Amino acid sequence: MTKVILDGEEVDIEMTEWEYEKVKDLLKREPNLTELNMFSVMWSEHCSYKSSRPKLKLFEDAEENYDYVLAGPGQDAGVIDIGDGYALAFRIESHNHPSAIEPYHGAATGIGGIIRDILCMGVRPIALLDPLRFGNLKGNPHSQWLFKYVVKGIADYGNCTGIPTIGGEVEFDSSFESNCLVNVACIGLGTIEDFKHAPSRAYNPGDYMVLMGGSTGRDGIHGVTFASRTLTEMSEADRPAVQIGDPFTKKMIIEATLEAVKTGYVRGLKDLGGGGLTCATSELTGDGNTGAKVDLRKVFTREPGMNSYEIMVSESQERMAFIVKPEGLETILEVFRKYEMNFAVIGRTDDSKVLMVFDEEEVVVNIPAKALSESPMFKREEKQPFYLKELLSQKTPEISMGLDEIIYKLIASENICSKEWIYRQYDHEVGVRSVVKCGEGDSGVLRIIGTDKFISASVGVNSKHCFLDPYEGAKGGLVEECGNVIANGANPLAMVNCCNFGNPEIPESFWYFSKAVEGMNDFCRDLKIPIVGGNVSFYNEDEVKKTAIKATPMIMIVGLIEGQENIITLPFKNAGNDILLIGETKAELGGSEYHSVICDLEGGTPPKVDEAKIKATWEFIFELYKNKMIKANHDVNKGGFIISIAEMCFKNILGAELDLSHIIKENLRDDQLLFSESYGRFIVETDPKDYDNIQKLAQKYSVDAKKIGVLISNPKIKIRGLGNKDLILDVQKLKENYDSTIPNLMEI
Amino acid sequence: MSIRIAVIDFPASNCNLDAIHVLNNVTKIKADLVWHNHFKESKYDGVVLPGGFSFGDYLRAGIIAAHSPAIEEARIMLKDGRPIIGICNGFQILTEAEFLPGALLQNESLKFICKWINLKVENIKTAFTNKLNLGDVIAVPIAHGEGRYYTDNLKDLEANEQIVFRYSTEQGDLTEDANPNGSLDNIAGICNLEQNCIGLMPHPERASEPILSPKRTDHGKLIFESMVEFIKRRIS
Repeated sequence: MTKVILDGEEVDIEMTEWEYEKVKDLLKREPNLTELNMFSVMWSEHCSYKSSRPKLKLFEDAEENYDYVLAGPGQDAGVIDIGDGYALAFRIESHNHPSAIEPYHGAATGIGGIIRDILCMGVRPIALLDPLRFGNLKGNPHSQWLFKYVVKGIADYGNCTGIPTIGGEVEFDSSFESNCLVNVACIGLGTIEDFKHAPSRAYNPGDYMVLMGGSTGRDGIHGVTFASRTLTEMSEADRPAVQIGDPFTKKMIIEATLEAVKTGYVRGLKDLGGGGLTCATSELTGDGNTGAKVDLRKVFTREPGMNSYEIMVSESQERMAFIVKPEGLETILEVFRKYEMNFAVIGRTDDSKVLMVFDEEEVVVNIPAKALSESPMFKREEKQPFYLKELLSQKTPEISMGLDEIIYKLIASENICSKEWIYRQYDHEVGVRSVVKCGEGDSGVLRIIGTDKFISASVGVNSKHCFLDPYEGAKGGLVEECGNVIANGANPLAMVNCCNFGNPEIPESFWYFSKAVEGMNDFCRDLKIPIVGGNVSFYNEDEVKKTAIKATPMIMIVGLIEGQENIITLPFKNAGNDILLIGETKAELGGSEYHSVICDLEGGTPPKVDEAKIKATWEFIFELYKNKMIKANHDVNKGGFIISIAEMCFKNILGAELDLSHIIKENLRDDQLLFSESYGRFIVETDPKDYDNIQKLAQKYSVDAKKIGVLISNPKIKIRGLGNKDLILDVQKLKENYDSTIPNLMEI
Repeated sequence: MSIRIAVIDFPASNCNLDAIHVLNNVTKIKADLVWHNHFKESKYDGVVLPGGFSFGDYLRAGIIAAHSPAIEEARIMLKDGRPIIGICNGFQILTEAEFLPGALLQNESLKFICKWINLKVENIKTAFTNKLNLGDVIAVPIAHGEGRYYTDNLKDLEANEQIVFRYSTEQGDLTEDANPNGSLDNIAGICNLEQNCIGLMPHPERASEPILSPKRTDHGKLIFESMVEFIKRRIS
C-alpha cells in the first residue's frame, strides 16, 4: 500500500511508489482517481504477471515451433488443430483466494471465468476439470466445510451450464488448510473457422463495442488486487471482493455468443473477468493497435449511483464484450434479444490509440490504450530454502507394522481413496460425449461426434514431491499427466499449466516457482510437448503458520485417440492374463503417501525423472498398443504399484497372484519396492501368448517390462517373493476401505 | 408422410442438443430444435421436453417453463393424443404443468447424483414403451438434484397403470439400495391416464448408443423407437 495525494486528498493505493511514478511518466501528468484505480488493477500481479513474466518467457514459442498450435501462451486459451477442420481450446486457471473466503461462490465463479475464457475463442465449452487442494479432512471441520462447498459450487455451476465435469484431482495436506487451491480447467471444441472469427482484439477502427450479459454491480471490486496479496485474518472483510455467480445467465451467454459468432459479424471478442471493463477495453484496443471512445453511462448497472471508477473496475460476472462490424450491428443485437440478454452499445473503436472514457460529457479516462498493459516487471530474487537439505536427508524408518496392514491403511488414505463422493455430484455425461467416465480410467475421454476421434484429458501434479524438489516434481507432474492420457490410449498433444505458489517477494517462495517453470520447460522441450498456456497464482500463504502452500505447478495434458478400438481402459479384464509392471522401481519414497500416512514423515528422496527412459517407455507402450497387446492399463501413482493393481481388480472383482522375486533387487527394501512412487511406470494386463513378443520389444526399447503375476478369479491379491513373509489381501476389503473414507468423513 | 418431432428449447434446457443428436442420428427421425417462443404444435407429430435447468430452475425446478406458451401448445397435443415425453427437467415441467400427477422433490441425499442405474419396465402400453417387454431391466443414467418422485395418490397411480419405470437392481428387484434418490415406491417414470405422455428422471438419450454405456447397451433408443412406432400406428 502506498499513500498518494490526489486532488488534495490522501488515497491508499495497491501500488509501490516506484510504480506510481511510472504511471505519471506514461501519462505525462498525474492520473485521476479512476485512472489510478485502472492502473492499480491492470498492474496487479494477477493481471500483469509482473513477477512471473521474466520467467514465463521460456514458454513463449509454442506457436512458432509446432504447426498444429493455433494459439499459444498469452492468449485467453491455448488452441490446437486436431485435424478434420476442428480446433480444440483449453486453459486452466486458479480461483484460490475467493474460494478460501467463500468456497461456494468462489468455486462457482471460478468455473464461470474459465468457461468465458474458452468461449471468447469462439468455440463451445464441452468439458470441465477441477484439480483441488485442501487441508486434511480428518478432524478438521474447516477443511471439510471448504471441501464440501467448493465441490457443491463446481457442481451447481457446471451442471446448470450443461458442461460435463469429466475429471479432476484432489490432494489433502496441512499446508493448504487456510489457503485451499481451486484450479479450474475447461476444454472447448469448434471448427477452425469458428476460432478465426473471434480474435481477442479490436483491430478495425469504426467498429461498435457492445457489452452483453449480466449487469455491472459493486461486487468483485478489486478482486484481482485481493488475489494478489496474502490472505490474512482480515481477509474475511474482503468477502465483498468475491463475485456472485449466475450459471443460468452464463448458459444464455454461451448460446448467444456462439450464435453471434456464427453470423460472421463479430470482429473481436473478450470476456470480462479480472479487471472487468478496464481489462477488456484496454486489451481489445491495446492489442488491436486501435483506440476507443466509451460512454460509461451506457453500461447497465445493477444499482444506481455507481461512480466511474466502480463501473470501470467492477468484476461482476457473466459479461462479454463484442467488437461488431457496423453493418452487422442489428443482426447481432437481434441474437441477444432472442436470448433475452441485456446489452448496450457502449462505444466505438477509432484510430486514436487512446482509450477515452466519458461519464456523460466529462472525460474520466484518457490514457494510451497500450499503457495499461505496459506494467513494470520485477526481477524477483530466488533462494533455495534452508530446510530442504535436512528434509531430503530423512531416512525411511524400519517397517513398523505388517505390510498387509499398511496396504489396507494406504488405500483408505485421503489422497489415495476413491473420489466418487466428488464426481457423483458432477454431471459428467451431459453432451453425450463422455466415453471413459469419471472413475473408469486415468483420464476423461470424450468422443468428437461425427468423427472417429477422441480427446483425452488429465490434470494434476504431486504437491508433496514438488515441495521437496520443484524441478523434478514439475517434470514428474508432466510424466504423470501424460501417463494418464497414454494409459487410455491417447497421444499427448499439448499442455497448459496453473502455477500455485507463495509470495514471490519472498526469495524461498520464488525459488519454487522458478525451478518448477524450468522443470516444465526442460521436459516439454525434450519430449516435444507444446506449452500452450498458463496462469500464475502467487501469494498462497498460511498467514497463521507463516508458511507457503506446498508448491503446486498444476498440469493439464490433452491428448488424442484415433479410432474407437484404440481406447484402453483401467479395469483388469480376464483371469489367466499376465500382469506386467512397466518401468523401473527405485528407492524413491520421499514425499510419498507411505512416508506421510504410515511414517509421519515429509521428507526423503523424492522421485527423479529420466527423460530418455520416459520417452522409451512411451514409445514401447504405443508399440504394444499398435500390436493390440494391452488389455488394460493404469499408470502407477500415489502409494506405488500395489495400489494400482488393487484399483484394477475392483471393477470386475478379480484377484491376482503376484511373485515379486524377479523384480526385488539388492538394496531395495520391501516397503521401497511396494510403495515407491518412481515416475513413468504402468501396470498392464496382457495375454500370456504375447509374452515372448512383448519381451523382445522391451529389449528393443531398453524398457523394463517384468511379468509380476497373473490374474485369478478369486478376489484375493496373493504376494510372494518379498523379503518379508507372503501376503494375502482381500479385494473386497480393499475396496471397502477405498470407497468409505470420504463418505465417512463427510456424511456426518 | 414423414414424421416430425419437436425438441423444445427452453433457456438452459441443456440436454437439447443431446436429444436432437439421438433423434436425428441414432433413431433417424426428423427432429427440430425449436426455441420455446417459436413453438407451434401444428407442425409436429410428437414432442420431447429435454433435460437441463430451464430458466435456471432458481424458483423451483420446471415451474417457470410450465407456465410458458410453449407448454400451452403442448397441451393441445396432449389432448389429441400425440406423444409427449419429458426427460429429467422435462419431467419436472410436466408435473408442474399438471400433464402428469405428483411432484419431484429434492433427492434424499440432498445432493446432485450422476450415475448409471437400472430401470424395471412396469408398463409397455404407453407411447414410449411399446418396444420394450414387461419386466425388462434397462440401463440408463440419472443426473439430477431434484428427482425424488412423490404423490399422495399412489393407489390411483397403481390402479390406473400409470407407473412406467421403477428403479431396480440389475436382476429387477425393487430394493431400497437400488433407489438412488428416495422416490416413493422406487418410481422413476410415470404416464398420464391416456398413456400418450410420459415423464422420467433418467436420461434415455444418454443411453442410446453402446459407446456411451458402461455395459455397451443401447436400451434408451427403444424409448424413442417406441414413439415412432406409436406415431406410425396413430397415423395409419
